[in-house]
Amino acid sequence: MQIKFWGVRGSIPCPGSNTVRYGGNTPCIEVRFPDIDRLIIIDAGSGLRELGNDLMSRPQPVEAHLFLTHTHWDHIMGFPFFVPAYVPGTHIRVYGPVTYEEDTLEKVVGGQMTYRYFPIREAELAANIQYFSLKEEVMDLGDGIVVKTKYLNHPVLCLGYRIEYNGKVFCTAYDTEVFRNVFITDPGHPDYDPEMAEEGEQVAAEQNRLIEAFYHDADLLVHDSQYTQQEYEEKYIGWGHGYIEYVCAAAQRSRVKKLALFHHDPLRTDDQIDEFTVRYCNKDYCGDTETFFAKEGMMIEL
Amino acid sequence: MSDQYTDTLQRYIDKMPSLSTTVTKVLEVCNRQDVSPNDLNKIISLDPVLAGNVLKLINSAYYALPNQITSLTRAIIILGINTVKNLALSTAVVGALKGHNNPYLSMDKFWAHSLCVGVAAKELAVLNKIPVSQREEYFLAGLLHDLGKVPMVHCFEKQYAQCLQQAKMGSIDLHKAEQQVFGFDHSFCGAIIAEKWQLNDAMISVIKYHHAPEKADKDHRLLISGVAIADLYANIFEIGSAGNLSPGSEQYKNMPELTDLWPGLLQQYDAVQTSIEKAAVFLQVS
Repeated sequence: MQIKFWGVRGSIPCPGSNTVRYGGNTPCIEVRFPDIDRLIIIDAGSGLRELGNDLMSRPQPVEAHLFLTHTHWDHIMGFPFFVPAYVPGTHIRVYGPVTYEEDTLEKVVGGQMTYRYFPIREAELAANIQYFSLKEEVMDLGDGIVVKTKYLNHPVLCLGYRIEYNGKVFCTAYDTEVFRNVFITDPGHPDYDPEMAEEGEQVAAEQNRLIEAFYHDADLLVHDSQYTQQEYEEKYIGWGHGYIEYVCAAAQRSRVKKLALFHHDPLRTDDQIDEFTVRYCNKDYCGDTETFFAKEGMMIEL
Repeated sequence: MSDQYTDTLQRYIDKMPSLSTTVTKVLEVCNRQDVSPNDLNKIISLDPVLAGNVLKLINSAYYALPNQITSLTRAIIILGINTVKNLALSTAVVGALKGHNNPYLSMDKFWAHSLCVGVAAKELAVLNKIPVSQREEYFLAGLLHDLGKVPMVHCFEKQYAQCLQQAKMGSIDLHKAEQQVFGFDHSFCGAIIAEKWQLNDAMISVIKYHHAPEKADKDHRLLISGVAIADLYANIFEIGSAGNLSPGSEQYKNMPELTDLWPGLLQQYDAVQTSIEKAAVFLQVS
């Protein structure tokens, strides 16, 4: 498997002098299987545009499985700018999670292409595009590629992906926040309920264990680490994103071989990430888990 | 008013399941932005049937999670407090009200009508810039406004069929036909249930006066007008049916709100349709 980052930023594209080295595009990861000529794309953030341009210079037609982690805007906004979608012969299978109360995946993703938002309508796309909604499941994509999914902790349904091929494992876990016990745990509080507090504690721990089990032994894990622990605790509890300190510890516990810290905050500058690299990405902090901050254009071979 | 009718009705209503105080409390809780997970969990747990239905809905339609969610505590941690709050509210109300089908008044169509009035009333609350925290009350008011028809059609099938027939021919409004046959109408009957269930004053007023908003207390006037307009909307577009095919022009004469809000509501036609489809899932749980 060859994994290439085309977008690593969270929330909104952030071009500018402060983000030029790590990149300002929102999530898009290419997973290539050169020996069997297969292609998986994870997320259609603004990084998808450049991936699309690159695909146009490769042998045609483009055939891809596009897995969306969820349908928040920063993860689907690149779709209308994906050039292969306008080329006859292209075949794209789009997968993603939807809840019953939302529109279909087709409407959510393709709905960006109405005259209100965009000059071209979805009906004008020449490619063959199919939509499939996903839950927690295991999929056999043929040629020995297996994709497993896991619900994460985000304000909308959001899936982590585990791709297994040829004895190697590539995993994504974003956007997600550590599960917390939201019930009152202070015995001195008038509304304290010991059973609720205890069950809450157990469920949160159990859900966190399930996510760790999902990426256990991964050769590469791409994980939401938008914040530092201090930022998270001061301002961002409940926003559905991870913090670096927790992610590094959890990845080590799960014997992850390589950890890519991902979904950088829009305010995060290149210089800050360099500082964090010195602070966190070393053997003292992360042990045997080789840790780094994901960078646009970076390629990893498993 | 005939004693024979009111006695039968009263006996029927006495036997109706009580809308436990839970619903009133859930409603109260849903109107507060800062409700704590502890409070929500406690309130829902007080009513085992409601708690069961919330879990059933989460496990079936909502997320289709592979691991069954077996407790509210679990649901709140995994799905978040807002999701659970909304599910509880809608399930509580609809669960308590589902009736059996009747050859003359289809309960499916009746609920489709009620849902439409609820959704359209909430849309009107938006147009009227009612604070978010009070909009759920508009939905509930619309959902409940015709409540009184349920026992009437079940207790007096033949007589009620006669009222429906008159309304169908367009000669007279259904509530007027009811008055002629029974000496009272579904507003009266609905109010008895609302009082039994200890719904708040606003909700009782809606049920009592949705065909005569001008008689209502000034405090509840806006809510009642919202429901009355939403009712007109549902009847004109024939979304579901609660038996009234002749939207009476008289009751709208004294409603200046109609001229202000009607065009805005019409523009929201697609949004209302979509909301009805979304809300319909709650009717599948009983």
